[in-house]
Amino acid sequence: MSASLYDAGAADLAAEHEALIQFLYLAPVGLVQTRADGEILMINPISAQLLMPLQPDGNLLNLFDALENVAPELRHLCAMFTRPAGMVCDGLHIHLNGGTLRARRAPQVLSLSLLKLDEARFMAVLSDVSEQVRRERQLRQNDAWLNALLTSITDYALVSLDSEGRVCEWNETIGRVTGHSEAVVGTPYSVFYPRDAITHEQVRDRLHEADQNGWILDEGARQRADGSQFWASSMISPLPDHDSTFDDPDGPAYCLVLRDISDKREAIETRRKNMFCDHLTGVANRRAFFEAAELELQRNRRAPRPTALVLLDADHFKRINDRHGHPGGDAVLRQLGLMLVATFRQVDVVARVGGEEFAVLLPSSTGDGALAVAERLRQLVAQQAILFEGGRIELTISAGVAASDGVNLDLDTLMKRADQALYAAKANGRNRIECWTPALAAPVETPPKNPTPATP
Amino acid sequence: MNTATVLSFATPALHEQLAQLDADRLDQLDFGVIGFDAETQVCRYNRTESEAAGLTPPRVLGQPLFTNVAPCLNNFMVAQRFEDAQDEGTALDDTIDYVLTLRMRPVKVKLRLLAEPGSAVRYVLVQRRL
Repeated sequence: MSASLYDAGAADLAAEHEALIQFLYLAPVGLVQTRADGEILMINPISAQLLMPLQPDGNLLNLFDALENVAPELRHLCAMFTRPAGMVCDGLHIHLNGGTLRARRAPQVLSLSLLKLDEARFMAVLSDVSEQVRRERQLRQNDAWLNALLTSITDYALVSLDSEGRVCEWNETIGRVTGHSEAVVGTPYSVFYPRDAITHEQVRDRLHEADQNGWILDEGARQRADGSQFWASSMISPLPDHDSTFDDPDGPAYCLVLRDISDKREAIETRRKNMFCDHLTGVANRRAFFEAAELELQRNRRAPRPTALVLLDADHFKRINDRHGHPGGDAVLRQLGLMLVATFRQVDVVARVGGEEFAVLLPSSTGDGALAVAERLRQLVAQQAILFEGGRIELTISAGVAASDGVNLDLDTLMKRADQALYAAKANGRNRIECWTPALAAPVETPPKNPTPATP
Repeated sequence: MNTATVLSFATPALHEQLAQLDADRLDQLDFGVIGFDAETQVCRYNRTESEAAGLTPPRVLGQPLFTNVAPCLNNFMVAQRFEDAQDEGTALDDTIDYVLTLRMRPVKVKLRLLAEPGSAVRYVLVQRRL
């Protein structure tokens, strides 16, 4: 062979071509290109691996023929697809006729996506999804889940629904939770909803979603036979072994679990408050603040944007406590909490992070913006004395502002800087706001008035 | 040379005779030959097969057959037949109609699957159907 440049180029091209061919040979997913009539133009090995066992005659020349026995609707789907190009089906599950003697290696379910390239060509992607489908089934059949439901049966109504969502059978749990008698059998499950709370289409939508996802959960008002309402959580899941093509259409196809959680609704809300609210002032507590701040700064790292932090502190709070007692101090803190919430935006996180110390996290706000709001609050507090037991308590606040441009600033640093600025405001005579500057970073070693709150 | 010209895809008791052919003679056969060892790694790959598939031997030799070379054969029709024969310690000599995806074109072929209990090397032979 001559060693000319031309030959070297041709050799490179041949090697590249071979690598491409091998790439397609090894792709762990089936790829097929066909003519409009399904005749196979190009096909990779995994397609043959998946399709050959379905061919009684040992041939594989037309995709529609190849899938005729397991997906007879395919040709029709393509014929009905009138747009010039686009997805004819996306992840269509094709259930193969399993249970043969050779089933050990045979896939049970194929997933098929079919893309119309133009009037003359289709591109298909095939994969064996038996394992995923099996796992999903197993999840649905999960014994532990069913046991959990059955052992606390007094709390639930267990309702079997047919493929159209009609109640199949009556049982005592239905009577206990909903007050319905056996006459409810044959009625769509919308009978458990308040009038106009669910449409006929939504009844079907939910069944469809349950099919797609394995279950559907939903919480809201439900209605008993006598018209009274209760708050419920409900779950619909398809019965594991139901097969719509073979089973009785009036037989059970879904399981509806209806749980009365009216008494828990308030409990859930209370628990949420206990966990995330400061009991005295009603603003967020430290835990809620740090969770929210961490989350905001994480989002910040993904999409950098300014974030500001204000730390503020009631001036001479000890003096107020001494003069008016702790109830006076509490009244001051409650009032300060109210003014904070009224002054800052709803999106800002206002929290009590120490005895008389508050923090406000301002998402998408610059230091200047935060300074302006904090200044407004400072003036408001200084102008409005707090009424307590017929008397007036004068109050001023000091605050420090720090801001992040969204790059390279963690919460700890932001808190430390805001605290340094607050310390400066106190040192400079109180009733004032300071913004953090690098000069504040290395102050004379003095113990800070407000130690940086440790992360919870 | 003589042996090679005489051997055809349908020659009886072919396993034994293939084992005796060196690489050159294997290359002269007019059907495709893929030999693989007990670990299913390809150890023989003749020119006919190489040209049909568009792959040179270095890309194929030493690779596991059913996952890295011919995943299209990884089903009950081919791979499992070899497994069953291995598990049961029996000989295998089956010929089946199949479609290979040579250079991504569907090609009708006959496959002959050969295994002998005493031999580590097993063969898939490939002949085009007309």
